[in-house]
Amino acid sequence: MTEQELAFTQDELDEIERIKAKFPTNKAATLRVLWVAQEKYGHVKPEVQNLVADTLDLPRSHVHGVASFYTQYYKEETGTYVLDVCTCLSCQVCGGYDILHHLEDELGIKAGETTEDGMFTIQEVECLGACGYAPMLQVTNGVYANNLTKEKVDKLIENLRKGKKPEFESMVMRQNEKRKKELSQ
Amino acid sequence: MVEDWKSYEPLIIPDIPNLHRIEVYEEHDGYRAFRRILDNPEEWSRTNVTNEVKAANIRGRGGAGFNAGLKWSFMPQPDERPRYLACNGDESEPGTFKDRNIFEFNPHLFIEGALIAAYAMSVDVIYVYIRGEYIDWVRIFEKAVEEAYEKGYLGEDILGTGIDIEMYTTYGAGAYICGEETGMLESLEGKRGYPRIKPPFPAQKGLWGNPTTINNIETLANVPLVINNGADWYQSIGAEDHNGPVLYGISGHVNKPGVYEYPAGMPVEDLIYDVAGGIRGNKELKALIPGGTSTPVLRADQLEGVSMDSNSLRDAGSMMGTAGMVVLDEDTDMVDLLWRITHFFHHESCGQCTPCREGTGWLEKVLLKIKNGEGEIKDLDLLLDMTTQMEGRTICALADAAAWPVRHTINRFRDEFEERCKKSVHAVA
Amino acid sequence: MPEVFIDNERYEFEGDYMALQFILDLGKEVPFFCYHPSMSIPANCRQCMVKAGQYIKDEETGEYELDENGERKIRWFPKMQTSCALKLSDGMVIQTQETSEEAERAQKDTLEFLLINHPLDCPICDQAGECPLQIQTYKYGPEGSRFEVKKVHKPKRVQLGPRVTLDAERCINCTRCVRFAEEISETNQLTIVSRGDKNYPMTAPSETFDDPYSLNTVDICPVGALTSTDFRFKARVWEMNQTPSIDITNGKGCNIDLWTRDNEVLRITPRHNPEVNDYWMPDEGREAFEQFNKNRVSRPSITLDENNQSNTSWNNAVETFAEILEAHDPDQLAVFGTPHASVEENYAFNKFFNLLGASNARFTPHIIPGYGDDFLITDDQAPNTNGCRLINLEETDDTGIQSAVTSAKVVIILSDDLVGRGVLSADDLADRYTISLATNQSDTTEASDLVIPITCVAEHAASYVNIDGRIQRSFPAKETKYTNRRLNLEMSEGRLDRYGTNFDNWVNEEHKIDCLPVWEFLNHLGERIGLEFQYDHSRAIFDEMSDRIDPLKGISYERMDEELGVQLPIEQQEVTQA
Repeated sequence: MTEQELAFTQDELDEIERIKAKFPTNKAATLRVLWVAQEKYGHVKPEVQNLVADTLDLPRSHVHGVASFYTQYYKEETGTYVLDVCTCLSCQVCGGYDILHHLEDELGIKAGETTEDGMFTIQEVECLGACGYAPMLQVTNGVYANNLTKEKVDKLIENLRKGKKPEFESMVMRQNEKRKKELSQ
Repeated sequence: MVEDWKSYEPLIIPDIPNLHRIEVYEEHDGYRAFRRILDNPEEWSRTNVTNEVKAANIRGRGGAGFNAGLKWSFMPQPDERPRYLACNGDESEPGTFKDRNIFEFNPHLFIEGALIAAYAMSVDVIYVYIRGEYIDWVRIFEKAVEEAYEKGYLGEDILGTGIDIEMYTTYGAGAYICGEETGMLESLEGKRGYPRIKPPFPAQKGLWGNPTTINNIETLANVPLVINNGADWYQSIGAEDHNGPVLYGISGHVNKPGVYEYPAGMPVEDLIYDVAGGIRGNKELKALIPGGTSTPVLRADQLEGVSMDSNSLRDAGSMMGTAGMVVLDEDTDMVDLLWRITHFFHHESCGQCTPCREGTGWLEKVLLKIKNGEGEIKDLDLLLDMTTQMEGRTICALADAAAWPVRHTINRFRDEFEERCKKSVHAVA
Repeated sequence: MPEVFIDNERYEFEGDYMALQFILDLGKEVPFFCYHPSMSIPANCRQCMVKAGQYIKDEETGEYELDENGERKIRWFPKMQTSCALKLSDGMVIQTQETSEEAERAQKDTLEFLLINHPLDCPICDQAGECPLQIQTYKYGPEGSRFEVKKVHKPKRVQLGPRVTLDAERCINCTRCVRFAEEISETNQLTIVSRGDKNYPMTAPSETFDDPYSLNTVDICPVGALTSTDFRFKARVWEMNQTPSIDITNGKGCNIDLWTRDNEVLRITPRHNPEVNDYWMPDEGREAFEQFNKNRVSRPSITLDENNQSNTSWNNAVETFAEILEAHDPDQLAVFGTPHASVEENYAFNKFFNLLGASNARFTPHIIPGYGDDFLITDDQAPNTNGCRLINLEETDDTGIQSAVTSAKVVIILSDDLVGRGVLSADDLADRYTISLATNQSDTTEASDLVIPITCVAEHAASYVNIDGRIQRSFPAKETKYTNRRLNLEMSEGRLDRYGTNFDNWVNEEHKIDCLPVWEFLNHLGERIGLEFQYDHSRAIFDEMSDRIDPLKGISYERMDEELGVQLPIEQQEVTQA
């Protein structure tokens, strides 16, 4: 992919304008426009970072510095699904590493690697804010899969291979019984 | 300490289906506090609102526990500069998973609280910064903001009062340091999340150099309760000097982990054994990290009679933090646990200032050595030495947060660490 | 007046002051890395820690509160403070490493951290000898290392741009380079990439650090992370002499230091002058060192036949010059001064031909419109345009030079490549006897019949008037065949100069150019033709000028040295292409 071929569509440019309108400076839109770019290309490799910089009329070095600071931006191409397995604190003590190692065994790759078919990338990540539902993982910066077991992981992989992503799971407080009941109906 | 907690009905996240929808929220007295203020501007002048909140002593729920109203009063008199309220929904302290419940189940309570804060401080724009991993909650919350705009609670000429307040939601992209208030400001400005030196404080020079106040999501969700029921009522909930409802996030080796809402000052043992259903597999309790990963771990024997409020936890040798309680059972390997904590801080140090950038990595590497059975007793003292070299020497508190668990875990579980070193390949008699 | 107490001494201060700058201004020391007086204060290296507090004043009486021993009570700040970002306030008490063990400990601790991932490769590092990290480690650092685990590895030998090389492992993340590109040169070409201990400065992936001021980052880098690609591995700093001088590559007159070893200029760095260039200079000015060493005119030369020049003796050069002058009337001479040479050279040169009866020498400014920026690069390509005006040389445009040549039989050019810069063509000079007094080989010397080698700015003391009308001067930095460091007290003498002999392999006589200051040559020439003309030193020329030229009244080399140059009361003239 050469830099010339990269461009935002009119719809994306409109979205970028809406993002810019939230802030008094273009610079403030950097993180959000990197997200727009990552959604489009699946990564923010250097040429995509430059597209973001040029679109926002910012120094390319600035966008490069920002992209490299935040871990959710993929600076390299990844598999179709990125499985971010939390192994931090609560997940560590509740079997996060077992889940990670199980995934590694199942997919035949190590954390940080991508399967040969380009389907899965596994990453070991820091706390994702789902400590009460440990162990857990996040699929490609999106949905959370909570309270994992090896069986649940196998099912998840199977579904993902079929293109079926898990659905958002509402974790209702145990004190909210009425809500729970409503949700289960 | 709170004793009659069993009859407590949640206030921040009450058991009302579909409360996240604005009609339902309004049906249950939603936006009443805000309307009351707008309808009675004399009784509820900006100063009076601030004073009421100050009197209620809402301790910041983001970890520092600072009186929210007092924080508001640091804002300078309005001048020609724009004024901002930056709401911290970064929630990335390991063990903490509470604010996402507010976004999901009662977003309007928070929006209303933020509006009242904005009114009290003459704020023009509210930014809500949510961690990037919470993208699903961002989408849920954005819908609530849209509803509030449609109903005229946000935007220009709010409810016909001539007051203009905008609320913009935005999100990060993976960096714990953006939960530090000035790191978050830098991130909001589209930069690397390097915390700023203070002074100047955000109230003087915050977002784009303008007066800015930063509050946690849960903190602001408490504000409408105070306006509706008064500071005295609020003071009556919870412990002395630490009041109001608290979202306790309980995780680790308990039977019923999750977020629970109870008054501040809950007995730790009640929370673990009663609320959270006790230790999994009927094991013994070994230790508790009471308020997120940076709060010092307490041994089971240090927990007797301790309650979840700042005074009691301070006396016990720890801190309230975010009330994200991580319960650890008898089988927990404290060396492994501490190594993983230092791994976290090493990964998340922004790298701006020396003691943290270098110290967090060194801590992790030495602990890895010990964990791998290659440690020596002198490494433990080196680690303790490093913690004093890091603490209080950096721009923000990340170095402190990295140092405390190391110091306290080693000191409180010294035997376990020494044991591991004695078995090491380098062990000397 | 508000007062502060530093290491138990009382000082008064006025206005806004940060503690570190105040302490440095007192001539005291606190170690630091990231702080730079001309840039924003990030307080990120955490090296300049001091213990600080406040004497407690009774609010009602305004008196200091005393303890039981009659000593003033102090409220110490709970944490150690970075003095760079600590604003002085009335009654503040500061203890540096000299009086506080805590401050000393904090500084030592920070140094230990800075060194753990640093490669400690001083023996092969260019920065060694002038490295703040090395110096401060010796002064304030720990004695050994307790770091027994693996260091972080980062990119090394990265060609960041055409002139700057990065070793990211040596970097201590002070961000001076990034701030320079943001705040001073404003090219924004640098950023810190990655996070935590993997941080290092970098350009955007598709970009190169070709900032026209890029080498300033090498100067301010407090470690050997950024080094000059050209100067790398050429010399140890302690082997070199450092001589103050003036940048002669443009009209700004940046204050510089010439770094010489064995009479070769090896590098040029900026010298602080808040009135002219602050701490900075353009990269172009640094590249000038080559012209002081290479392509020099050494020994006079004379054209024997059509195209062949041959070296000749000084006697023969003087004789030939004299014969030409004797064979022509003054009005047959076209005499050209130059903005590329100093005031003294132009003055002596012009005076010589005035004495012969010629009218004032002409000169044409050397301007490239649009070449400059709003900072230190100017449209004016010469260092002394205003100096030529000051001594009333006749300013003319290129056409004026051409017509003067056309109507002359003899053309005498002082140090100006009029052919190379397109004012004249070699053909214009073909039918005239052309004499060049020059420092370097050029198209003009090639087209000349007689070439007299003269000293360059690195070899003489002389003054230059910059575009803003400031007169500043140079010092001799390298010896010629006829000067001697040990006899000329204005010259600095390094270890290698002092102890080197012709038998040492680091001494090379070839580096000494066979040339004379223009006035000395004219002394010889004057003597030969019986002209009353004698200047022993440029100082004598300057003294005469300061007597005769109003704006120079009361100005001397000493004043220029003390005041880092003197602003002349001359009207600032827009230097334009005539």
